[in-house]
Amino acid sequence: MVWELASFPAGLMGEPPELEGVRVDLVRGGEPVRITHVLDAVEPRIRPDGRAAFPTEGKAGQGRTNRLDGVVVLPCLDFPAEERPLHEQESVIDLSGPGAELTPFAADTNVVLTFSTREGPGNEELEAWARVTTLMVAEDLARPTLDAEPEQVERFELGPADAGLPSVAALVQLSDLGPLYYQYLYGVPVGRAGLPRAVDPAELLDGAVTCGEYHWAALRNPTIVFQRSALVRTLYREHGRRLRFAGLVLMRGYEQTAEDKQRAAAAAAEAAVELGADGAIVTTDAGGNSHTDVMLTVRACERAGVGTTAIVAEMADPDAVGSGLTDWVPEADSIVSVGNAEELVPAWTPERVIGGDTLLDGTPAAGAGPIPLRNYLGATNQTGQHALTATTW
Amino acid sequence: MVRAVHYLNQFFAGLGGEEAAETPPTRLEGPVGPGRGLAAELEGIEIVATLACGDDYFGEREEDALARLLELLERERPDLLVAGPAFGSGRYGFACARFARLATEQLGIPVLAAMHEENPGVAAAEGKVLIAATAVNVAGMREALPRMARLAEALAAGRELGPPAEEGYLPRGFRRNRRAEASGAERALDLLLDKLGGETRSEVAGGFDGVEPPPPVADLSTALLALVTEAGCVPQGNPDRLPTIRAQRWLRYELGSAQTLAPDRYESVHGGFDVTLANEDPNRLVPLDTVSALAAEGRIGRIHDVFYTTTGNGTPVAAATSFGQEIAAELRDAGVQAVLLSGT
Repeated sequence: MVWELASFPAGLMGEPPELEGVRVDLVRGGEPVRITHVLDAVEPRIRPDGRAAFPTEGKAGQGRTNRLDGVVVLPCLDFPAEERPLHEQESVIDLSGPGAELTPFAADTNVVLTFSTREGPGNEELEAWARVTTLMVAEDLARPTLDAEPEQVERFELGPADAGLPSVAALVQLSDLGPLYYQYLYGVPVGRAGLPRAVDPAELLDGAVTCGEYHWAALRNPTIVFQRSALVRTLYREHGRRLRFAGLVLMRGYEQTAEDKQRAAAAAAEAAVELGADGAIVTTDAGGNSHTDVMLTVRACERAGVGTTAIVAEMADPDAVGSGLTDWVPEADSIVSVGNAEELVPAWTPERVIGGDTLLDGTPAAGAGPIPLRNYLGATNQTGQHALTATTW
Repeated sequence: MVRAVHYLNQFFAGLGGEEAAETPPTRLEGPVGPGRGLAAELEGIEIVATLACGDDYFGEREEDALARLLELLERERPDLLVAGPAFGSGRYGFACARFARLATEQLGIPVLAAMHEENPGVAAAEGKVLIAATAVNVAGMREALPRMARLAEALAAGRELGPPAEEGYLPRGFRRNRRAEASGAERALDLLLDKLGGETRSEVAGGFDGVEPPPPVADLSTALLALVTEAGCVPQGNPDRLPTIRAQRWLRYELGSAQTLAPDRYESVHGGFDVTLANEDPNRLVPLDTVSALAAEGRIGRIHDVFYTTTGNGTPVAAATSFGQEIAAELRDAGVQAVLLSGT
């Protein structure tokens, strides 16, 4: 299967549409701006063949898709009520100041969509409105690329590779913990999408997975992390050089019972075995009991003869000594730490706040003092998207 | 001028070798022994006194030794305590760490020790004492003293320290962030390919406290059983405002003679799971109905008349550990023999 990704300059970006109840702000990296209550981050994409950029039917990762390079759509929404069962966690992006270098979007053109809320519709209804609108806007913004020449076209295809190279699979965890904590595969919450499931790696890069999950900002996987997956792109690049890319398994995090966790871990390992993997990189989404799912998956893989490296964030109290891992099994002897999400980012005073003036904990966003790194969107991304790590001091 | 006090064992204080190891805590004027070399390196810090103690005296009468040393230290109105270098000497390193830790905890002053990384004093410091790295034996003195001086100056000035390897101190165990050379994905691939090639590495060590399951309760039919939960179960309305996440405390609620947790009286405020089913019937989190029925049948002796609750969601391990210790102490004092701990 071949998929082409054509890149176009940010300057081609179309006018954001006028939408009722949605305020649009254009801000750029380096501006003294703090963006709050950020739900997701989406790269503008469109397909020349007229199929959906974020499909809910058919198969992504085929033909050609156009992208706007360096543009991110950021939906912001402050849910009106603390509504059971789950509520979203704070999510901040700083475009300058000490948080900017930790926020992976600070260098981009940010199209911020602030969704106004009113009493009446419940959180789930508001969330669906924001999520669907954001994907629609992302597609609209890329529309001018249809009449332009790309700057670059990347080709994603797994050709034959030397059988002597080690075969490596990616096991990518997706969340389904209930309302406001869903990731979607072709528009379906992943808990109902038949995971674990091997998919063409290009499907992940091409909008098959979208994010509707608002757990700890630094630890969750916004849509752009899949669209631009450093892990999948690295495995494509190294295919035939240092490894054979065995394939991609999507698996669910937040299984709700011990039995289901064990079963899901064993099934993910079996999927890796079926792909013929000698080794697997296991990624994490969000935290808490999803870390247990990762550790059980590592154990199941190792027992099935598939060597693993897991990617996790740490959550170590900055003033306490000791492990920052939420869970661990002895089989997890090879772990990449993408940073300690509990570290505080020094206070910074933005000149302008977009998305909502008050943080969820009630402090004013412009004078919040130090903010834990866990509240910065994508800062300790557990698919390995960025270069942060933690070391022992 | 910053007033520093220097701690040495009997040998380095010039009081004698093993034959003087029983020497009780002693005060000497100004810098002594390695303290003279250290004083020559220090800028803006004066060693006003040296405190010394025999290694055996400290080992055999630690409590007395620490009390006396703290008393002597306090009299000097110190701004800083420096201990060692103890190099690889276990008894000396242990004394340095224990005294320095007590001094910082009791007097709130910054403290610095110095020893080899494998000295048992490192573990005794539990990350509470900054420790300059030294060689394993006294041959490393020339290198140790300037390093100690720079770290002492940093402490006195309140300067934020850089990474351990750059500043020359031993890692205390804090997990700090830094930018890596490559993305996590590239690093994961390097680690995996190395592991498949036979060389296994990790960026973070595992190894948790293992909690051994205790032996079963010998006779449940006579036991006093308590209910404890981290499920965020509280009276309706959450009167004591238990946080939904990162709780910094636990709570205790009277059960009286209740045999069930009624849904109109209790709810869960836990922010880390879907509480719908739990709130339909709070006994699903804290099974008072089931244990009460078992008590009525005589299979459980009695149910403790209070239950303990917190929110186990994003709780730092250190906080969770102290919650457990505090709750366990109360349960023990109340004569509880069995606990049903429901987790989520």
